[in-house]
Amino acid sequence: MIKVETKSFIPIYEQIKKELKSKISQGILKANEPLPSIRELATQLLINPNTVARAYRELEQEGFIYTRKGKGCYVSDNSSSLVKEEGTNVLNQAFDRAIEEAKKLKLEPEEIRRLFEQRLEQVAEGEEKGRKE
Amino acid sequence: MNEVLRIENLSKSFGRKNVLQDFSMSIEKGKVYGLLGKNGEGKTTLIRVIMGVIPPDRGELFYKSQKIKFNDASYKKEIGYIPEESIFLSWMTIKELLNFNASFFPTWNAKKADEYLARFSLEKKTRIKNLSRGMKLKLGLMVALASEPEFLILDDPTSGLDVPTRQDFLKGVIEEILEGGTTILFSSHLVHELEGIIDHLSILHKGRLILDQDFEEVKSSVKRVRLTFDKNIPEKIELEGIITEHKDGAYEELVVYPWNEEKRERLQALRPVSMEVESLTLEEIFVSFVS
Repeated sequence: MIKVETKSFIPIYEQIKKELKSKISQGILKANEPLPSIRELATQLLINPNTVARAYRELEQEGFIYTRKGKGCYVSDNSSSLVKEEGTNVLNQAFDRAIEEAKKLKLEPEEIRRLFEQRLEQVAEGEEKGRKE
Repeated sequence: MNEVLRIENLSKSFGRKNVLQDFSMSIEKGKVYGLLGKNGEGKTTLIRVIMGVIPPDRGELFYKSQKIKFNDASYKKEIGYIPEESIFLSWMTIKELLNFNASFFPTWNAKKADEYLARFSLEKKTRIKNLSRGMKLKLGLMVALASEPEFLILDDPTSGLDVPTRQDFLKGVIEEILEGGTTILFSSHLVHELEGIIDHLSILHKGRLILDQDFEEVKSSVKRVRLTFDKNIPEKIELEGIITEHKDGAYEELVVYPWNEEKRERLQALRPVSMEVESLTLEEIFVSFVS
């Protein structure tokens, strides 16, 4: 089930793309499984079918889904690795911002590495603690 | 361009009140137009002039490049019109109404009419005066869609209706879009209802269109800018296209249209300590433009 928020300032086609990608990464939508038809999604979400079509068109151009003539859209074979790749890019951007901050503090690469390792351990400990409680 | 309707320099006043002033608009085939405006700004007047219910004082209308003469009903055979209040003759039964419309619309699709009747649980023998407002609206949608219109005009039809009835109605409209090619002019004051459906946004204010643009373009070119200043607080920010402005000490909030990189640089040059640029929802866009 895909959800969109029409009152959001994020364009609806972007929301549909994001929802479908997250379904792919969670394994809810698997390779070569069909996506809901444009009709189904438009009437269920009460949105313009052109908006759904745009989301599908862009997902197809980006390689996440493919179309079978007269049958509709399906999840691509390599979709989950594409989702992962995209996620890695987002992660790298977050790293870039962190490195930028570290540079402002004039930290050496060795120091940044140490802080990162330390943070990883803290997060892991915190998760461990959360499980025990 | 494939134009369904063109309105040129339309003016209409009631007594001393000028409701529409030199109003011009062009409606392209196959698109869904959202018409927004505060109450009393002329949305219904505009639609009633288009539908030939009232004559304009000045100005011209063209339906598919043909000039419309007042009292000429021929172009209306291609238009589905759903007003806020039902205009059906209340003594008629639904069956009589169907026969009446079948004789008026050459494109009448009786099968589609029957399908919608069943879907909306409407009985042919029922008299229109015995229907609730929600049922009358569904009947209106059924008549409009069964006439296989090229152009569908919705004048705030869902106001005051419950959520399930509104959803049934919207679903019918979306199915019509799915059939392809239908142009829609959708006036509503339920702004979020339009947000998911429209391709084009037209805002009517003080008798004119103050915004008339592709909706995706509007969404990406109307921005809210939040600025916080340190010591050098500018007296007045000189920038074209400031729609609204709120100032609170060192903090300043602007809605800017159209937003672009050049404006970003000009604001950066004022050296704010922080500057955030955000998108707006349709409701926020509407409120900014008409307040």
